[in-house]
Amino acid sequence: MLRKCHLHAMAIALAVFCGAAAADGPVIITNPALTLSVDDVRDVYLGEKQMAGNVKVMPVENASAQAGFLSQVIKLDAAKYATAWTKKSFRDGLTPPPVKTTDAEVIDFVKRTPGGVGYVGSAPGAGVNVVK
Amino acid sequence: MTDSAFRRWHAARVLAIALPLVCGSALAATDAERIDELERKLNESANLVRQLSQRVQELEKGAPRAPAATPPATATTAAPAQPTDPLADRVKDLEQQVSALSNQPDADRGIDLHGFADVGFTAAGTGRDSGAHLGALDFYLTPRLTDRIKFLFELNFECCDDGGIGVDLERMQIGYTANDNLTVWAGRFHTPFGYWNTAFHHGAQLQTSILRPKFLDFEDAGGILPVHTVGLWATGSVKTGGGRFGYDVYGGNAPTIQMHDPAVAGSGELDPGLAGAGARAATLGGNVYFALKGAAEGLHVGVHALTTEVSDTALVRNTTRVTMFGGWLAYLEDDWEVLAEEYAFRNSDLSGTSGRHNSNAWYAQVGRQFGQWVPYVRYEVASLDQGDAYFAQQESGQSYKRVVGGVRYDLNPKTALKLEAQRTRLTDRDTGDYTELRGQVAVRF
Repeated sequence: MLRKCHLHAMAIALAVFCGAAAADGPVIITNPALTLSVDDVRDVYLGEKQMAGNVKVMPVENASAQAGFLSQVIKLDAAKYATAWTKKSFRDGLTPPPVKTTDAEVIDFVKRTPGGVGYVGSAPGAGVNVVK
Repeated sequence: MTDSAFRRWHAARVLAIALPLVCGSALAATDAERIDELERKLNESANLVRQLSQRVQELEKGAPRAPAATPPATATTAAPAQPTDPLADRVKDLEQQVSALSNQPDADRGIDLHGFADVGFTAAGTGRDSGAHLGALDFYLTPRLTDRIKFLFELNFECCDDGGIGVDLERMQIGYTANDNLTVWAGRFHTPFGYWNTAFHHGAQLQTSILRPKFLDFEDAGGILPVHTVGLWATGSVKTGGGRFGYDVYGGNAPTIQMHDPAVAGSGELDPGLAGAGARAATLGGNVYFALKGAAEGLHVGVHALTTEVSDTALVRNTTRVTMFGGWLAYLEDDWEVLAEEYAFRNSDLSGTSGRHNSNAWYAQVGRQFGQWVPYVRYEVASLDQGDAYFAQQESGQSYKRVVGGVRYDLNPKTALKLEAQRTRLTDRDTGDYTELRGQVAVRF
């Protein structure tokens, strides 16, 4: 019986571990010179918002956190998101956001780009705005 | 890879190893044996976790794990090398390569080339073309000169009716973005009326069906509207509480009806006037729409209007003031695609005495996605006054009704297979019915 309890405890621990990993939401960040709302962010990543005042908004994707960002913020799956950008590019001549591969690259880009917008999987530290 | 991502990667490996071991133990003969087996394997897994955790800590500290690969000067007298992890090394290499690529300056990446291509077949009754055929090969580029100046170039290669290949500078636009509310394009563009013409145009893979609505076809393929314009186009959108308000305003060369035989009525084809308007007339038009948010997210409704003066090249020239207006809606949400557009014409005869003519054309299409499948149906009607020289002089300017039904299968997000049947009834200049079955493979890249 104790052994079975031990196994159950292990199973629960594994489930808790997996659940905790899945619950990590993306943290949206912008260059300090740029202020955006969460609603603006969706427009930015769908090509509806290109300028903020005189600043050209420069979004970047983050391959390591994209799945969560698309499902939680953009509300589209990857295939529909890609199709939306193909339509936008074809109609309006826009180019989809370039893709960075890690949080560190995204943070670096956002820090040094006045219109930089990105998203990361964990707390970004100082030097960027966090969109709430 | 970040520390947290690296930890997750190792954790995933541990889970991947541990879970099959746990599952495999279910094959043991008795409960006691199974539990013993599980316990043994869990202990093995725990040891593996400890080893991997140690490895992670070493990596985090930047400790050299593979001295043989990067030997220090004293390598020959150093402690025995720890075993390398080829997979981890490979992942790190790939990360570095991808990272280097993604951090390249835009200027070093060249210009992205995108496009569409399609091939297909048609099976039709006697008197109509059947067999395999090439569709279009369409390339487009979207280079950006500065934050505000952008370009859109599109080149189309298309198989003509005579079997030759036609090349068309489909679009050549140079644009300036003042802000989100205003972008001004100059050049040749897809005339922004309704929804279909700018959303899909030569993007066969983007549109659900194989055929466009017949009355919205390209000028050289049977269309009755100037789907291209050379001139200026202002476009933009304004965010409001309930959604987004968008607009297009454009002006450009008026089209001409080029008669294939000036002596034969109804042998003409619209020429959008790349090199200028023959009669120095202009086309002016606009399109305003509202994209709803909230409960009606995905619904776009719009109204559009166009006016132009069109002359033909018949022996006795006809000139018509074309006035088109109408509305449209597009609902693209929850796996539904509902499209409907209406075009009403109030044309005036400027060269003769036939006066004013009313015509009308519309379509409605409904499709629903079920996984990779999208069945769809469309009904379209064009009631075109044959006393109106604008329609009477165009080869395809006759009235018709058409029913289209088909199914699309998305092999992957960039490749679509389509099968479509359509039945068309011609209702004035010519009469009669015809049926066609079409298949298409359409890709985007």
